[in-house]
Amino acid sequence: MKRLRALHPSIDIGFKALTRNRLQTGLTMLGITVGVATVLAMMAVGAGAQRSIEQQVRAAGLNQLTIKAGNWKPKTEDSGGAVAHQGDAEDTMRLPVDELMPALPDAGDPFAGAADVLPIDFHPEDDPMEKHDHPLAWQRLGDLEAGLGASTTLSFADAEAIRQLPGVQYVAGGVHGNARVHYRPEGGAEKRWFTRMHGTDLHLLDIKRTWTLRSGRFFTEEEQDDKAMVLVLGSVVAEKVFGEQVDPVGKDLMLWNQTFRIVGVVTSASWVVRPAAGDDEFDAVYMPYTTTHQLLNLTKLNDITVTAASTGDVSALSKRITELLRQRHNITNEKPDDFTISTQATRAITTGGLPPNVAAAIAGNVKELERVTLEQLAGTLERASGTMRWLLAAVAAVSLLVGGIGIMNITLLSVTERTKEIGLRMAVGARGKDVTRQFLTEAVAISLAGGAVGVLLGLVASYLISSTLRWATVVSPASVFIAFGVSAAVGVLFGWYPARRAAELDPIDALRHE
Amino acid sequence: MIGVRSLEKEYHVGDHVVRALRGVTLDIAGGEFVTVVGPSGSGKSTFMHILGCLDRPTRGQYLLGGRDVSTLPHDELARVRNETIGFVFQGFNLLSRTSALENVELPLLYTRKGAVKAAERRDRARRALAAVGLTDREEHHPNQLSGGQQQRVAIARALVNEPSLLLADEPTGNLDTATSHEVMEVFAKLRAERGITIVVITHERDIAAWGTRTIDFKDGVVVSDEQHAPTMGSHRPVSA
Repeated sequence: MKRLRALHPSIDIGFKALTRNRLQTGLTMLGITVGVATVLAMMAVGAGAQRSIEQQVRAAGLNQLTIKAGNWKPKTEDSGGAVAHQGDAEDTMRLPVDELMPALPDAGDPFAGAADVLPIDFHPEDDPMEKHDHPLAWQRLGDLEAGLGASTTLSFADAEAIRQLPGVQYVAGGVHGNARVHYRPEGGAEKRWFTRMHGTDLHLLDIKRTWTLRSGRFFTEEEQDDKAMVLVLGSVVAEKVFGEQVDPVGKDLMLWNQTFRIVGVVTSASWVVRPAAGDDEFDAVYMPYTTTHQLLNLTKLNDITVTAASTGDVSALSKRITELLRQRHNITNEKPDDFTISTQATRAITTGGLPPNVAAAIAGNVKELERVTLEQLAGTLERASGTMRWLLAAVAAVSLLVGGIGIMNITLLSVTERTKEIGLRMAVGARGKDVTRQFLTEAVAISLAGGAVGVLLGLVASYLISSTLRWATVVSPASVFIAFGVSAAVGVLFGWYPARRAAELDPIDALRHE
Repeated sequence: MIGVRSLEKEYHVGDHVVRALRGVTLDIAGGEFVTVVGPSGSGKSTFMHILGCLDRPTRGQYLLGGRDVSTLPHDELARVRNETIGFVFQGFNLLSRTSALENVELPLLYTRKGAVKAAERRDRARRALAAVGLTDREEHHPNQLSGGQQQRVAIARALVNEPSLLLADEPTGNLDTATSHEVMEVFAKLRAERGITIVVITHERDIAAWGTRTIDFKDGVVVSDEQHAPTMGSHRPVSA
């Protein structure tokens, strides 16, 4: 404080003036304090809303895009079912069992109340490891026949190349299929469950923001490199095979006649998505794609899932990936892509609650649907939060205005009270600007002091808002600086008029003032 | 030191024009101790304000130390006041709740080169207080000082920037006779020791006797202007 006072005498004078009438100064400060606290709290609420919207957008996968091998058009002549489930059909290896399985009802647990043993007599090839008396489809034909058709286009090298692109957050290549898992407890009856099999990348857990690990862990980089025989179960599989009370982590599970060690169980963290039998995410098992590759003698990927570092960047990123892959796959200008990039929006339409024919109509007629919808959706949410922010800013501005009027009032009062002093200072050589500076310093000192207290109060208020109302609040260092800066600006703005008035006083009149 | 030529000052009060000064021409040499007397409304205060560069004449010329200051802009006048003029007022005009020392430092905050450094301010203020015999009152606040002491603090403040002209407007108006003479004694001593030009406005004849020259104002003009030997004070032998 002493050093600050030595800095400039007018600061010294300002501080003296403040201590001269503590109650008035305190009350004026209070006005600014309330204003600044409001500004800070409102900014925290606004930023909190913004962040939670961003989080929702990310959780919804709006920053996610999927590159699929092949470039197939929807079968429009079909009744629609095939279109609606195009996504499922495409990213699934066409195992013969697809034809054997009855179509699953859309919702609910098809096996609820039924025995844990599948009633259907599977063709042996649904468990490729089960029989070794003839070569498997994959062994005979490799990738070509393994559901990839002619689209054996995406490789692990492609995934690695995409990982190097700017704006990419996570990349996970995947191979998908259906498989039956077996569990034989000691002395108990064997349990089997027919489910989805995903050979994937360890980054999948980072991509799936709505996932959480119920127990255990996801597989590690070493396990992926070593093609380890490890499995992560979706919670539905865990419950169907082991029951709800048992933690399957550490137990062994048979798949393709191979023994896998269970390392973790994933489930949904979102109340929107409830794991259910038949879904693709939690009625599923996950293993490193390297393991899948080795066991099934594959080299290609069904798809690559990518997340963009920022939501708004998805379209641009999609374009960059297209260019990269066309270049890598040596596709000349006039040839079509040998891959398909889709985003969450197209999936929402093709696999969501829409009737298949409606979904087909939308997906078929709206070109580049995913890009438009994505940005529009994000844009709408941002506009909504922007409107709210302006509203909050208006509230804060009004309270600051009131605080500023308080400052102007006390500064005017101070000028009037000290007219004689101003006259004297002028007589001994103070120029107009010296007087201006003195009163401005006073006004700014009050507003800064009020602002400092206001920042503290604002922090407390933000904390209380988030803890009692459960609103998300975010206090960034920038908003603290802004709140503080605004209080200084209010001091200058509202101190200016009284300070100018003081400076324009006639020294003789001022000296005679009683 | 001071030369005024045909000095006129008019004020507008509503529709009326008040002619406070109607052509004053006189010179004051360096080291003179001038007392200005006259009844209320005679123009002596206006004259004082112009001499003190607090106001500018409507017409006429004011030369201060050979420089025409009658048309200088406000900021320049503030500089002149700061550097060459010291003021003493009837009501002392000390800042309350501020120590004697800090009061004396005040003009040093507004020098041409900005504020004088704190240590030097303190030092110079101490010397100025010593010159008026108040060494032991440095930390006292005005309300802890007698009227005479307060006026001596005010004189110290007027002196601290070493002006060549000291203007006092009724400096003894609020003081009893004994104290008045104490204060006048300080002026006389300063003039004798430092050769400062002193102009004192007063309406008390016995105060006027301290000076070396008395100028009498009436209705905005000088009606008498006479040199005389100071009849009071311990430094009477010193002449202009």
